[in-house]
Amino acid sequence: MDYEAIVVGGGHAGIEAALALARLGRRTLLITQDPETIGRMSCNPAIGGLAKGNLVREVDALGGEMGRLIDASMIQYRVLNRSRGPAVRAPRAQADKARYANLARRAVESQTGLSLRMDTVVDLITDGRDARVEGVVTARGARIGARVVVLAAGTFMEGRLFIGSWSASGGRLGEPAAVGLGTALARRGFPVARLKTGTPARVAARSVDFSAMEEERGEPPESFSFSGVLVDRPSISCWVTYTNAETHRVIRENLGSSPLFGGAIVGRGPRYCPSIEDKVVRFPDRERHQIFVEPEGEYTDELYLNGLSSSLPEDVQARFIHTMRGLEEAELIRPGYAVEYDYLDPQGLKASLESKRLAGFFVAGQTNGTSGYEEAAAQGILAGINAARFLANEPPVLLSRADSYIGVLVDDLTTLGTKEPYRMFTSRAERRLALRCDTADRRLTPIGRDVGLVDDARWSRFVARAAAIEEAAALLCARRVSRTDALRDPVLAPHVGEPLAAALRDPRVAAGLEGAEGFAALVGSEAQGFSRDVLETAWLDARYSGYEEKEERLAGRFERSEGLRIPEDFDYRSVPGLSAEGREKLSAVRPLTLGQASRVSGLRKADAALLMVTLLRISRQA
Amino acid sequence: MPRSYLDAPVPIAALATAPGEAAIALVRASGSDAIARAATCFSRPAALRSAVGRSILWGRFIHPRTGEEVDEVLVSVFRAPRSFTGEDAVEISCHGSPAVVRRVLEALEAAGFARALPGEFSFRAFANGKIDLVRSEAIMELVRARTEGARKDALKRLEGGLSRRIEAARAELLGLLAEAELRLDYAEEDGAPGEGPAQAAIAGLRNRLAALCATYRAGRLYREGLCVVLAGRANAGKSSLFNLLLREERSIVSPDAGTTRDYVEAGIELGGFPVSLVDTAGLREADSAVEAAGIERSLRLLSEADLVLYLADGSDPLSPDATDMGFLASRPDALPVWNKVDSPSCRSAPEGWLSVSAATGEGLSELVAALEARLLSLAGLDGGNAGDAAGQGIGAQRDEVRVACERQKALLDQAVAALDDAMCDLDAGAALDALALDLRDAADALGEISGEISAPEVLEAIFSRFCVGK
Repeated sequence: MDYEAIVVGGGHAGIEAALALARLGRRTLLITQDPETIGRMSCNPAIGGLAKGNLVREVDALGGEMGRLIDASMIQYRVLNRSRGPAVRAPRAQADKARYANLARRAVESQTGLSLRMDTVVDLITDGRDARVEGVVTARGARIGARVVVLAAGTFMEGRLFIGSWSASGGRLGEPAAVGLGTALARRGFPVARLKTGTPARVAARSVDFSAMEEERGEPPESFSFSGVLVDRPSISCWVTYTNAETHRVIRENLGSSPLFGGAIVGRGPRYCPSIEDKVVRFPDRERHQIFVEPEGEYTDELYLNGLSSSLPEDVQARFIHTMRGLEEAELIRPGYAVEYDYLDPQGLKASLESKRLAGFFVAGQTNGTSGYEEAAAQGILAGINAARFLANEPPVLLSRADSYIGVLVDDLTTLGTKEPYRMFTSRAERRLALRCDTADRRLTPIGRDVGLVDDARWSRFVARAAAIEEAAALLCARRVSRTDALRDPVLAPHVGEPLAAALRDPRVAAGLEGAEGFAALVGSEAQGFSRDVLETAWLDARYSGYEEKEERLAGRFERSEGLRIPEDFDYRSVPGLSAEGREKLSAVRPLTLGQASRVSGLRKADAALLMVTLLRISRQA
Repeated sequence: MPRSYLDAPVPIAALATAPGEAAIALVRASGSDAIARAATCFSRPAALRSAVGRSILWGRFIHPRTGEEVDEVLVSVFRAPRSFTGEDAVEISCHGSPAVVRRVLEALEAAGFARALPGEFSFRAFANGKIDLVRSEAIMELVRARTEGARKDALKRLEGGLSRRIEAARAELLGLLAEAELRLDYAEEDGAPGEGPAQAAIAGLRNRLAALCATYRAGRLYREGLCVVLAGRANAGKSSLFNLLLREERSIVSPDAGTTRDYVEAGIELGGFPVSLVDTAGLREADSAVEAAGIERSLRLLSEADLVLYLADGSDPLSPDATDMGFLASRPDALPVWNKVDSPSCRSAPEGWLSVSAATGEGLSELVAALEARLLSLAGLDGGNAGDAAGQGIGAQRDEVRVACERQKALLDQAVAALDDAMCDLDAGAALDALALDLRDAADALGEISGEISAPEVLEAIFSRFCVGK
């Protein structure tokens, strides 16, 4: 074999997969169509956000790269959803796109054991029985052998771009598609289908009147990574403007020239991130839509018009952009466009992200039907870890829905599949309260350490932080609510004599206080030695312990069905009364547990109930 | 190993009507090839095989192996999925002698039908998505209904009244939850509105579910019935009144005091409820050990009674001790009855006492009316009592749907408790992510009522309580 592992694609999934494999000691080749584009952000210039910020923290906790990359390239930092509770609070940073990509490329190029090749993969090499992957075939006819292949081709497989009536093959505007691979995989029997996504126009900052827009400033930056490196980055404002009746009129009058409404695009787009023409059609009563004007970097004049994704003809895009306040004279540098691409039905994957039909073949990122840099990176690192474990003949690392958003993401994809680009939401996690951003290290760093991706420096930082949190928590347990406290603050009256940790379960107590202020107000000088983030985690642990217990109880139901395992060779014909379609769906997906089975899309509740009864009988007989 | 309804679904058959002599008996058979199999037992096999769904065929039933004619029958044909079980099915109306039924079942067995297990038809209906759990439970109640009130009550649930009401509440709850989730999953600046679900919406939902909970008592009383105990001094005429209410001579009646040394129990129907009427030994100083034991039992029965009818002999002065006035003071909820108004020595009834003559039947209809009124009020169905929790909202309506079983009640209670928590959260200004958890708790509990996520034990328990043929 030429290499032990090949990673196809240098995007956010490919980077994590390739780095994980190489760091775990595997001779790895990263094949990209263009090394210049490693780590390129195709769409919005930001990393993180609701649920996605948690994913970045989790990737970092496992020993991934994304958190460090954004820490070193951010140009604005904000915490979203502060008021709506710690479980849904998440960091987001605007990125300097060029810097982010450069840093990613440097990380890849400086990694020992990781080689880089500019080429296009057009097919796989398999053993004679099509049971195992043995390498890849490239556009220039090279046959490169490897025992594992991680496919992370993003939007490039048979990618097609659309702007009005113009349409051409391509993965991103100005970059060729990876032609042939999707077709080859379909020929090999992989379930290939089409998805669509889109991006808005970019305009020149010097042509924009910021005085007519609302300014959105950043907050003092904090790091995404648990690496402890202080973020020293500039903070550049974003701007807010709105569409109006005239914008909507221009769009409505030109729907005829939209490839989306004209039927040229068959792939389904993301409902949660619709194009502006979609929004105008679907919400005719909305008088305006909010548009964020975001800088693409420190040294570029390009601005990203977040919320204006469109595939209308360029002149129409210019006309509706010019109807908006502050953008009346905006010069378009790049038009918005839609991209349609091949993806593989992720129901064909195991929870390790390895293909069920082809041993050693792993798939990650947008090729699995997801959208978003963070979702891609999350799959990339897991695929990389499990590809390395496959090479070492070790059992795969399986993350559960109870310990991470990555677990939720992979379980959703592999059991439910997806018919539209899949984006992570906090509501997809039934243990949302236990999956806070600030606990990602506690949940995943021990796993990353076991796997071998967390180095000694990171590990000792983790151990120190965990110990500090424990000490701070002990302060909350030791400090009891006194009568004097109750006199000062009547909400404490029912809690006199209780440890502060118990009183904090009452949401009225110390309402609205962040961890550090809370400690300062209620514990006092003893808390001074701790860092803000340590105090925050200890504070939230205490505050949410009651709710987390409740969440645990609710999820317990779900756990029971998770505990009921389905034998791998289970014959669904042995389930009495199971509907034919239920049998077909379950036989296709082959879920591992009853819990997974009950989430199989379109499965009737009655079928799940029957399966449950049958499994229970089997487990009793055993 | 005996067959279980969890085994592969073989064709099944069973007698659906009550065993014993009757004009007609109905044998039910179901399975994916039930019609073709039944055709091998029919004098006109081709006609049966080609019969459309929901049609009836006349013919002779024949043992498929011996060719012996069993009976002249009507066969109703149901084709999947438009049958009770959701499978192909036939219902054979034959003559109602046990011998004929036995031979029809033998013929079907020879044609490959297995004897159905209790509840197996209903289980298949559930398995094939024809009915939800609430309706399965209602079928069982319908089969077991002892009175007209119980029957109507179960029928309403079978028609889906309760399922619909719970589904509506759940849909509303999911709406609130979706609203909360939308706010949680879109950042403030993404244009999602700032406030969480309104307190009023949660409170309204909570109160409706609480009212539904309150109907449990009525539902339970319709199913399980009430216990009405006759008490009073020896020789007050309890057994005579007992017999009058039963309209049959069940208790031994004699003028000697203390004839009923133990208690006698009989089932009657009052106000639509199955009532177990109990005649007890009279309250007095016991003459013998046997009688003392009887009195002891009387006292225990009295303590467990839903309603006590206290009988006094109108020709005898009321005693102030533990027998008359003392007893009434300890059971102020007892219904006092002034007996023997036919006797010339009877004095006029004190205020609040009902006058009857157990000997002549005078005052009986008033007594029955009073008893029925008390039972309805016990079930929370009197409607007039607005201060009573059970009297609020839907609980007050006599012909509304009711929660019938412990399982449904416990889950409804859980939903109400979760919504109470949600209101506390709102009150205390807790964050939306915590509030959403309580809403989900409530929605899960409601879903479990109709079997959306029910544990396997629940399914087994429900269906094993059915009788064969259902």
